[in-house]
Amino acid sequence: MIGIRAAVGAVLASILLLAMPREANAQDARAFIGTLGEQAIQVLGPGVPEVQRQARFRELFRNDFDLPGIGQFVLGRYWRTATPQEQQDFLGLFQEYLVRAYSARLGAYGGEPFRVTGERQNGEDTVVTSEIIRPNGNRIAVDWYLIGRGPYKITDVYVAGVSMKVTQRDEFASVIQRNGGRVEALIAQLRQKLSVAG
Amino acid sequence: MSVCSPLILSSLVAVGLAVAGCGAPGAPRPGQTAAAEDFNDPYEDANRSVFGFNQAVDQNVLVPVAKAYRTVLPPPVRQAVHNFLTNLDGPVVFANDVLQGQVGLAGNTIVRLALNTTIGIAGLFDVATQVGVPYHSNDLGVTLATWGFVEGPYIIVPVLGPSNPRDIVGKIGDGFADPGNYVAGEHHLLLAVIARSATSGIDERSRNIESLADIERTALDYYATIRSLYRQRRQAQIRHEKSDLPNPNPVQGGDSAPDASLSYSIAK
Repeated sequence: MIGIRAAVGAVLASILLLAMPREANAQDARAFIGTLGEQAIQVLGPGVPEVQRQARFRELFRNDFDLPGIGQFVLGRYWRTATPQEQQDFLGLFQEYLVRAYSARLGAYGGEPFRVTGERQNGEDTVVTSEIIRPNGNRIAVDWYLIGRGPYKITDVYVAGVSMKVTQRDEFASVIQRNGGRVEALIAQLRQKLSVAG
Repeated sequence: MSVCSPLILSSLVAVGLAVAGCGAPGAPRPGQTAAAEDFNDPYEDANRSVFGFNQAVDQNVLVPVAKAYRTVLPPPVRQAVHNFLTNLDGPVVFANDVLQGQVGLAGNTIVRLALNTTIGIAGLFDVATQVGVPYHSNDLGVTLATWGFVEGPYIIVPVLGPSNPRDIVGKIGDGFADPGNYVAGEHHLLLAVIARSATSGIDERSRNIESLADIERTALDYYATIRSLYRQRRQAQIRHEKSDLPNPNPVQGGDSAPDASLSYSIAK
């Protein structure tokens, strides 16, 4: 698609950073993100089986991402209309959905140089700015939105100015709306997607 | 035949911007009012049909051609083609930098044009990036946005993909303003214009085959995902968050992080 190549390509190129178990001891936001990048290569090593990659990714998501917060944001206004059971079902499925999607991408894409370039405050959140250097010399801006004061948790990733959280919310909102506003339709589709993917 | 006549061009602009300013036509379906406002996609049904058509064209024509392009030309040659085409777009980027009052960016563009056209041998080599003058893209759609025109409803254009009235007007305007197209027009070389456009499309497609395939594979609603990516990307460009530069500085002022609760129908 002309015009979104940068965003699309960079989304996937940037994901490779997020793939290692690490202690949540880091007090420094930049170090937190920097370490993520530095250790990425280990998990991307040749011959890492898919199951092992997924397991590490699952652990990473649980440790370093604010999954309940992200999940609630992604469901948007439908979070309030969902029953507690639906909310729990959704969070579980959503986490697994992310693990499957991104660990597969990690397997497909090699490591690319990445460096942290700065840090700023966005209200109560901390934003760590970084860039990925593509093989052709282009640099893609990746912004990491962190909550907490150390240990930090990632709440959103902006790639080339595009929010991953917002993109996911838009997609899920579309699915729910096109199924009469029923959250269970989204849950069913997630379940089906995960069972097909295997 | 002069398609470039000022009358036709201004009529196109007027119609395009009028559509952009319009609200959603017809009665919204029950429960769909909020949806139309959220996504600014009142023509969603028609768009999904065109999107389906585009997917078919993509799978049956564009991707095979792009893959053949990859097979036939080695990466350095393809990179040179990409650099050449990007350099050709330089004048239009410069014009829009100026129209937006972006003096620094305009300077970058001029330096890039000069370096890459001379030392870079007609744009084949991107020496400017190597000496620290980064690339940024710009177009009339962004300029119109900075002048206050809202994006208008989301529209999927046959073959070309996602767009909106303001960006369509922008693309047409840029096409007329492009000196390469102008020179080709003067010499009645319509074929050159078409070849450039087609090569640009194939080049672009060949650079994102895996990325888009991956997104399609994992998406529950691929149409909605593309719509979100496109609209966010355009908004980021308009906020002058340049994807190819580190630490984008919000030139227009204000925080560079968008407020996610803002309605998407507000472009700026």
